[in-house]
Amino acid sequence: MSELINLSLTDQIHGLADKSFSSREIADAYLDEIKKKKSLNCYISVFEEESKENALLADENIAQNKVRPLEGIPIAHKDIFCIKDKKTTCGSKMLSSFISPYSSEVFTKLDNAGAITIGKTNMDEFAMGSSNETSFYGNVLNPINEKLSPGGSSGGSAAAVRANLCSFATATDTGGSIRQPASFCGVTGIKPTYGRVSRWGMIAFASSLDQAGIIAKNAKDAAVALKYMSGFDQKDSTSLNEEVKDFQKEVDADQEHVIGIPKELIENMKNDQVRDSFKNAISILEKDGAKIEEINLPHIEYSLPAYYVIAPAECSANLARYDGIRFGHRSESVSSLEDLYVNSRTEGFGREVKNRIFIGTFCLSTGYYDAFYNKALKIRNLIKRDFDEAFKKVTSIAMPTCSNSSFELGSISDPVEMYEQDIYTIPANLAGLPALSIPSGKVNEMPIGLQLIGNYLDEGKILNLANKFQKLTDFHEFK
Amino acid sequence: MSLNNWQPVIGLEVHVQLATRTKLFSSSPIAFGAEPNTQASEIDLGLPGVLPVLNKEAINHALKFGCAINAQISEKVIFARKNYFYPDLPKGYQISQLDDPIVGRGSVEIKLDEKSKIIGVTRAHLEEDAGKSIHDLYTNNSAIDLNRAGTCLLEIVSEPDLSSAEEAVEYLKKIHSIVTFLGISDGDMSQGSMRCDANVSVKKPDDQELGTRTELKNINSFKFVEKAIIFEIDRQIKELEKGRKIVQETRLYDSKKNLTRSMRSKEEANDYRYFPEPDLIPIKISEDQINDVRKNLPELPDIMKARLMKSYDLSDENAELVTANKETASFFEDVLSYEVSPKNAVNWITGDLFALLNKNDTNISESKVSPKHIAEIIQNIEDQKISGPSAKKLLEIVWSEGGEIQELIQNEGLEQISNDDEIEKILDEVISENQKQFEQLKSGKDRLQGFFVGQVMKKTSGSASPQVVNKLLKEKLSK
Amino acid sequence: MKITKQDLKNISLLSKIKIDEERSASLIEDLESILTMVNKMDELDTSKVNPLTHPIENTQTLREDIEKKDIEREKLQELSKEKDSGFYLTPKVIE
Repeated sequence: MSELINLSLTDQIHGLADKSFSSREIADAYLDEIKKKKSLNCYISVFEEESKENALLADENIAQNKVRPLEGIPIAHKDIFCIKDKKTTCGSKMLSSFISPYSSEVFTKLDNAGAITIGKTNMDEFAMGSSNETSFYGNVLNPINEKLSPGGSSGGSAAAVRANLCSFATATDTGGSIRQPASFCGVTGIKPTYGRVSRWGMIAFASSLDQAGIIAKNAKDAAVALKYMSGFDQKDSTSLNEEVKDFQKEVDADQEHVIGIPKELIENMKNDQVRDSFKNAISILEKDGAKIEEINLPHIEYSLPAYYVIAPAECSANLARYDGIRFGHRSESVSSLEDLYVNSRTEGFGREVKNRIFIGTFCLSTGYYDAFYNKALKIRNLIKRDFDEAFKKVTSIAMPTCSNSSFELGSISDPVEMYEQDIYTIPANLAGLPALSIPSGKVNEMPIGLQLIGNYLDEGKILNLANKFQKLTDFHEFK
Repeated sequence: MSLNNWQPVIGLEVHVQLATRTKLFSSSPIAFGAEPNTQASEIDLGLPGVLPVLNKEAINHALKFGCAINAQISEKVIFARKNYFYPDLPKGYQISQLDDPIVGRGSVEIKLDEKSKIIGVTRAHLEEDAGKSIHDLYTNNSAIDLNRAGTCLLEIVSEPDLSSAEEAVEYLKKIHSIVTFLGISDGDMSQGSMRCDANVSVKKPDDQELGTRTELKNINSFKFVEKAIIFEIDRQIKELEKGRKIVQETRLYDSKKNLTRSMRSKEEANDYRYFPEPDLIPIKISEDQINDVRKNLPELPDIMKARLMKSYDLSDENAELVTANKETASFFEDVLSYEVSPKNAVNWITGDLFALLNKNDTNISESKVSPKHIAEIIQNIEDQKISGPSAKKLLEIVWSEGGEIQELIQNEGLEQISNDDEIEKILDEVISENQKQFEQLKSGKDRLQGFFVGQVMKKTSGSASPQVVNKLLKEKLSK
Repeated sequence: MKITKQDLKNISLLSKIKIDEERSASLIEDLESILTMVNKMDELDTSKVNPLTHPIENTQTLREDIEKKDIEREKLQELSKEKDSGFYLTPKVIE
């Protein structure tokens, strides 16, 4: 039944509905594949027995015509989403034995839509990393070339989708953590508008930037999955009380597109192959009738420095709750309160997480707030204004997802070089805009992504454009 | 204490626990005295992935206070994280306010020795309370109870306008009466619903700048506020006169020893690294909302006091006494609803009833004597049906046994004898038994008059009308 | 941007994370290179720009003051390694 796992989400939904195959058959096929590809290290937890049971229940529902939209579809959640009574580690030693007493809204919504949670995917520790190498559970391998990184922080989700280990996977994106691994693994990843998906139960890295999204085989699948994950949630004050459009319908609708190209940014790209690949992708869309407009995003080059103040600052506070008292790792060697704090935190956090806490603590400390944090927030405003201006004349903005295709595991040790991985993805997080990555070509025989950024709440528009591209090309097909 | 020409400069920070049903950012109940950690939800415990959602009622309460002290109300309310580690602070930060506190500059009026003084209120902001650390329960451990963690506090910060411990107490009493009249707090200092820190410094009249201040913590009763400040002023003067310098520090008031001592441990590395709370969006307060609150504001103590003085011809002092807090004021107005003399009502409430409350270590809201009881006792006195001593006796009986006033008067035989003949008979008896004293009285030893009245009262178990006894005694003397 | 040993000590104290002596040199190097990258922000004059804390203008939905009484203390305390009689325990704090 291995062909079942190759099917797209939409085909799986149809096949289940007309009873061409059962949910149990799909679940078994994925579980087998997960075992076969254990060495990829995509999963931190796999719920084998439970998935099988749930698949049987789904089949019963289908038999009785009680079909929910994602009934019986095996999916994976990034291990950043709390699931009640399940281990939720966030890729950290700190939470290696944390059994969540409650569920995230993302899990609850997809669960209510009938999806079967087959397992929880590996990730960079607390979503901090761009290569999946900071995970306490070891790095994930890129299914296309196991010597290479799957990207991060949602590397487990991207690799699991690419390796056919789930129908689609949830993921999170603070500075590019959905789009960059999607680019590296040749899959489709979307980070919706900030506030579109509830953050309740999603372990925080940088609250004003974190947003949950989807990694899937293609734009159509992503649209379907996103539809059932989105919506206002009273439990998240930053959640948007806005109608969720039917992305599933929008993705296939006949729409006009005006694509903005930040000319200067493209001309300044160091890697010719990546630029050529990008230009090629744009010409395909242009030939198909999309209008191309040059735009100017004058402050975009300041995204990276602003981000590396804001994100660490927020993270330094968000991660202060890990003190060993109420949950999480508690050091064995404790003789005073100070020991309890210092030893638990020093043992529980990995190097990259510590670095970011240090940076954030420093940027917020007396005498530095204005020079760093406040300055970064002002730049954030400038970047948002750049986008607002651009969206007056375009319906989406295109740029590469990454400055290159995947790199060899262990090859980047300079932190700034690693941070530069996110140079094209960070602006959308700072502005809170929806953005996606779709495979658009190859560089060094590895996939490279095209990034499409949409206007606020206009996920449908970029999904539609992505789908258009995928109808014209086969870069997204797993070969 | 000798001020020796030093001028104390005092500012108070009053933390008022707001009378909401749930916490500031979670729906957990806040009943006092619950089993440890039974009112601490996943949000209050700061579990990974939880988010705060602001309590609407807390905003309303804060607006009421702001309107009551004629303060500026912020158009935009922003919360900030105050970062520090302590076991009873679960998230490692407190959600508080730094810029744009909900209540800006306002003022209250206090009276001392017939003179009134305006005390500036710098600001009042909303914040969440911490939990409790209990250090004396275990030999080797401190015990943490997070029931109180997240409870709504309004921190009211005064200008350094107070120049004596007495003024500080008057100011605190005024804040207490405002919040209880508004119904936004029970103001119970013994349960920690109102807590107070004081900033104290001294200077010479000619000094342009304020002296170095110390912050006194943990002064949680009106009495201790006075004592702690008096002690601290005295300590600072003595230090300065010995040529020493005042160290800016936090000092703890020890009520058992009546002294303040340095808390150096709390001083180390207090860099709170405030930054805007990313999990909450700024809250906009509209002009309409403020007007609405202002329109529905209950009668405030100052206004009520003026009304009472005018309508019932009460003295300033009496009016002050019955408007000291909401409960006393309501009790007073309830007694008046039975159409008794306001002056008698004040005297009975602030005299005998307060004495009883003190004796039983309780407050007026717990009084076993109802306004109806007091009113009926007063009516019986006014109608000369019972004597003063009988009335006191009645009050005691009602307190301990309850019952209806009319029935008790009859059952206990407390009805006053105002029949002249009957009293004259008894008076004659007394005179014949005390001939010698009667002669002395006749010859001008006036103070024996009381002796005869007393003897008659004794024989009638206090039920004779003293007025009648006096009248008859005078008649006999003039014969 | 220079980071001193004193800065490092202060950061360690505030964040309650130990910095090993042998790691401090490479950490200083890392932090300095990150802060140098961050310092690019200084090229921009932002004196007339307001700070933006949230990407999207939104109205805050407030919560009604209604109690939820579904707290399962025992379940929540299973997550803690040191507790007794409903209390969380820490090493004794001497005030």
